[in-house]
Amino acid sequence: MSIQELFSLYGGMYVKAYGATLWMTVVSYVGAMLLALLVTIARVSPISPLRKVGDLYVQIFRNVATISLLIIFYYAFPYLGVVWSEQTCVIVVTVLVAASFGSENFMTGINTIGVGQIEAARSLGLSFRQMLKNVVIPQALRSSVLPMTNLLVAVMLTTAIGSQVPLDPQELTGLVSYINTMSVGGILPFAVSAVLYAGTAFLIGLAGNAIDKRVRILR
Amino acid sequence: MSEDTQRKTPTIELRHVEKHFGDLHVLKDVSLQVEKGEVLVLIGPSGSGKSTLCRTINRLETIDSGEILIEGKPLPQEGKELAAMRAEIGMVFQQFNLFAHKTILENVTMGPVEVLHVDKKKAEQEAMELLRRVGVAEQASKVPAQLSGGQQQRVAIARSLAMHPKAMLFDEPTSALDPEMINEVLDVMVELAREGMTMVVVTHEMNFARRVADRVEFMADGQILEEGDPNEFFDHPKTERAREFLESIKGH
Amino acid sequence: MSAADSVSMRDALYEAPGPRTRRRIVVGTVVSSVAIVAIVAWVVARLYEMGQFDSRYWYFFAQWSTWRFLLMGLAGTAEVALCAGAIALVLGILFMLGRISHNRVVSTVFRVVINFFRGIPSLLLIYFFFLVIPSYGIKMPSFWMLTLPIALTASGVLAEVFRAGVNAVPKGQREAALSIGMTEGKVMRKIILPQAIRYVIPSLISQLVVVVKDTSVAYVVSYPDLLQNARVLISNYDALVSVYFVVAIIYILINYAINQWAVNLARRSGAKVVTRSQENPV
Repeated sequence: MSIQELFSLYGGMYVKAYGATLWMTVVSYVGAMLLALLVTIARVSPISPLRKVGDLYVQIFRNVATISLLIIFYYAFPYLGVVWSEQTCVIVVTVLVAASFGSENFMTGINTIGVGQIEAARSLGLSFRQMLKNVVIPQALRSSVLPMTNLLVAVMLTTAIGSQVPLDPQELTGLVSYINTMSVGGILPFAVSAVLYAGTAFLIGLAGNAIDKRVRILR
Repeated sequence: MSEDTQRKTPTIELRHVEKHFGDLHVLKDVSLQVEKGEVLVLIGPSGSGKSTLCRTINRLETIDSGEILIEGKPLPQEGKELAAMRAEIGMVFQQFNLFAHKTILENVTMGPVEVLHVDKKKAEQEAMELLRRVGVAEQASKVPAQLSGGQQQRVAIARSLAMHPKAMLFDEPTSALDPEMINEVLDVMVELAREGMTMVVVTHEMNFARRVADRVEFMADGQILEEGDPNEFFDHPKTERAREFLESIKGH
Repeated sequence: MSAADSVSMRDALYEAPGPRTRRRIVVGTVVSSVAIVAIVAWVVARLYEMGQFDSRYWYFFAQWSTWRFLLMGLAGTAEVALCAGAIALVLGILFMLGRISHNRVVSTVFRVVINFFRGIPSLLLIYFFFLVIPSYGIKMPSFWMLTLPIALTASGVLAEVFRAGVNAVPKGQREAALSIGMTEGKVMRKIILPQAIRYVIPSLISQLVVVVKDTSVAYVVSYPDLLQNARVLISNYDALVSVYFVVAIIYILINYAINQWAVNLARRSGAKVVTRSQENPV
C-alpha cells in the first residue's frame, strides 16, 4: 500500500486516533496529577493510617501490570455491577497507575529540599502553611519538572492499552491493528502511528527540558 | 512592669531540662540563664549535647522535662504562639540553610513580608541595608548556590536580623566553612555582640569566645560541667574534662 | 533516593507535635481508621452480595494443578522478561555508545533511534512484530514476537540510563586514564563503563519491573505467560473476578520484590547512585 492510498483510505481515522490518544493523555495526566497530589498529602501526613494507605496505594499501582488492571476494570467489574465505557476504563486505569509514579516524583521533589531549609523556615516564624507555600511546594514542583514530563510521555504510551478494548474512536495503536486486519497494510500504517507517538514524545521532551532549564534550582 | 523587674527577667532561661534520644541521655538536668545583651558561648566536645541544647531554645528539638522560658514566659508548644516566639529569636545554622530557590534578597525579605507583614518595598530596602552591613549587597540578586560558604552564612545572619530578634542562636556557624572564610563570619558576629545583641553561640572558636563572650558554659556528656568568665575558663579550667578538651583543640 | 531519606523528610515536614496537635492526630487517626475499615467492609460486603465468595469461584485454588498451571505461566513471563532484559542491556549499552560518539552523524542517528524506541508504546511494536513482519514472509515464534519488541523499547530507556551513568563518572577519571597512555576505546571499556554501570544498577533493576509489566500483553501473540494462562483458567472455571484478582496480586508481589531488591542494593552499596528521573510505567 502506498502512502497516498493509506491516507486516502484511513487519513481521517488517523486524525481521529491521534486526537483520541492526545485527549486520553491529557485527561489522564491531569487526573493523575490531582490524584498524585492527594496520595502525596496522605503519605506525608502525620496521621499514620493515611500514610500507610498512601504507601500501599503506590506499591499496588506502580507494580501491577497495567493490562491486567484494564482487563479487571473492563471485564471483571461488570460482574460486580460496575459498568464503565471503554474510554472511561482506559482513562481510569491510566490515572491510577500514573498517579503512583507521580506521587513518587513528588516525594523525590520534597526529599531534595532537605531538613535544614524547613528548620530555617520554622525558625523564622513561618506557619506550616506558609512554609509549604513559600519553601516546600515551589521547590518540589520546580525540581520535578523533568520526571513529570517523562511521566507525561509515559501516560501517552500507556493509553496504548486502549487497543485491548473495543474503543471508539480508536487510538493510534488500536488503529494499526485494525488497518492490518482490514487490508494488508505492511510497514506503513505502523510507521505513521510510530512517528506520531515518537514525534509527540520528542516535542514533550523538548518542552520539558526548556521549562526545566528556566526553573531548575541551583544546589 | 518596672525597669527593675524587667532587668531581672533573663531573656532565655532553662530550668532542669532533660532530653533523651532513644537510650541516649543527651541533656541531663541542664539549667542556665542568658541575660539581655549577654553573649553566652557553649563549648564542648562533639556529642556533648551543646547543639541540641541550642536547638531546644526555639523548639527545633523538644524536651522530655524541665522548663524553657523566654523573657519569663514558657516556650509555647505549637501553633501561632510558637511561630510568634520563633519570629523573635534568630537562628543561624551550621549549614546556612538558605532557601535554594530564592534570591539572596528574597531570602532576607521572606520573614518580614510573610510573618511580620512588612510592606514588600520597605522590607527590600531594609534587607539591602542589612546585606550591605554584612558585606554581600552586591550578591543580592544571585541565588545561594552562587555564593561562597562565608557569604551564605553572612546572608543567613542578615535573614535572622531582618526579623529584629530579641536574641540570636548560633549553632556552630563556622564549622562548615573553609578556614579563610571563618573570620568574615566571626567579624559580623563580633559586631553584633558589640551592638548589644543577646546571643547564644555554639562554637569551637576560642579566640572568638575570649574576645566577645560574657560567659562560657562547658558541656560534656549532656551536662554543664563548668561555667564562668571566658579568660578564667580558658586559662584555668577547673575540671579534668575541660582541660583535656582544651588541650585537644589547641592542636589546631 | 532511598526509603530511609524519604522517611526522615516526611517526619521533618511536620515538627514534633505539641499537646493540641497530638490530640488532633489521635482524632485524625481514629476517624481515618474508621473510614478505611468502612470502605473495605463495604467492598467486601458488595463482593459477598455479588456472590464472589462463592466456593465455585475459589475451590480450584486449593488444587495443585491450578497453581502448577499459573506457575508455568509465571515461568513463561520470567523467560520473556529475563531474555528481553538481557537483550535490552546489550542494546542499551550499544545505543548509548553510539549516542555519545564524537562522530556527529553516528550520534545523531543513535539519538533518533533511542528517541524512537523510547517514544513508542511496546504494544505498538508488538503489533508490528505480530502483524507486519509475518506479512513479509518472515516466520517467528510467538516468544520472539513478544521478547524483541519489549527488549527494543526497553533498550531506548536503558541507553539514556547508561548515558546518565557515564555522565556521572568524574571527568578526571578519563583524563587520568588517557594520561597513562590508554586509548579512548580502552578508557571507555576499562575505566568509565564499569563505574557507570555500577552507578545505575538500581535503575536497571527498576527497569526490569517495566519489562515484567510489558510481558503481560503476551496474549496478543498467544504466548503462554501468567496472564494468558489465567485467561485459560477463567474459561475453564468461569471464574473471572477471583482469577484476575489473584493474578494481579502475583504481579504486584513479584514487582514489589524486584523494587525492594533495587532499594536494598542502592542502600547497601552506599556509593553514589544515579537514577534517571522516571521509568516508563506502561
